[in-house]
Amino acid sequence: MEIEREEIKGDFKPELIPSETGGDIEDYEEALHVLMKFVGSMASALEQVSGRGANAIVYQAGKRMGHEAGKLTEKTDNLEKALDELGEILGIDFYFEMWKPSDQEGYTIEKGDETVVKLLFMDCVVRQTLRRTGLPQKGPLCYLLYGYMVGAVEEVMDIKGKLDIDHVGPNACLKTLTIKWGGK
Amino acid sequence: MTTIKVDEDACVGCGSCVEDCPNDVYELDQEHGKTVVVNSEDCMACLSCHEICPSQALEHDNIHVAKRLYIDRKVSNALKKII
Repeated sequence: MEIEREEIKGDFKPELIPSETGGDIEDYEEALHVLMKFVGSMASALEQVSGRGANAIVYQAGKRMGHEAGKLTEKTDNLEKALDELGEILGIDFYFEMWKPSDQEGYTIEKGDETVVKLLFMDCVVRQTLRRTGLPQKGPLCYLLYGYMVGAVEEVMDIKGKLDIDHVGPNACLKTLTIKWGGK
Repeated sequence: MTTIKVDEDACVGCGSCVEDCPNDVYELDQEHGKTVVVNSEDCMACLSCHEICPSQALEHDNIHVAKRLYIDRKVSNALKKII
């Protein structure tokens, strides 16, 4: 089957920023799928070369992104407020909510100098990418989100945090965020 | 609230959903050899049970359905014409 390509012709000066990006939704969809395959293969190759070290590399990359994202919001000591604000920044790509079992009263649990909260990630571009490329969940790419979330929380609350994966599913993933009070 | 329906005719009673669910939403009715929903309020709609069920006996209503950007619409449309 021959693929029809419409060539766009116009004038362009590199010093001018075009007001429109050009292309329609199908072009973006195609680009997204190429990018998903690209990122998936990269994660897979990284794991092949570095083994378990791949998780640490991707985690650091995610953490750096998280710290950058966290700078966009106001600093707070209130975990629930921080998560609400981060929810807006991480937005629709990483749509999450706090989650608790029905027999638990509040979302947060205090354990000594630690506070624990369960987060349910419903929409996640990492999961989309893994499914597009046929890779299993809980692999290095999941550590990107792990680092992203921890970095963002650390930036907003100025504390140390960690995220553990409790369960992964095709429609949602449950993670436990633990923050340690008493500074970094 | 999430409603979970188990198609009793389809359920083969393998117990895979009982094993896989992290929140103990299901139990296996030993007498009838079928899955029963015992704790739907703890269901977080991860849909692991859907993926593991060999007979597609489960249905979740009123849940957030995650975006499925990984589906290639061109391939899906081509398949629709064949199937």
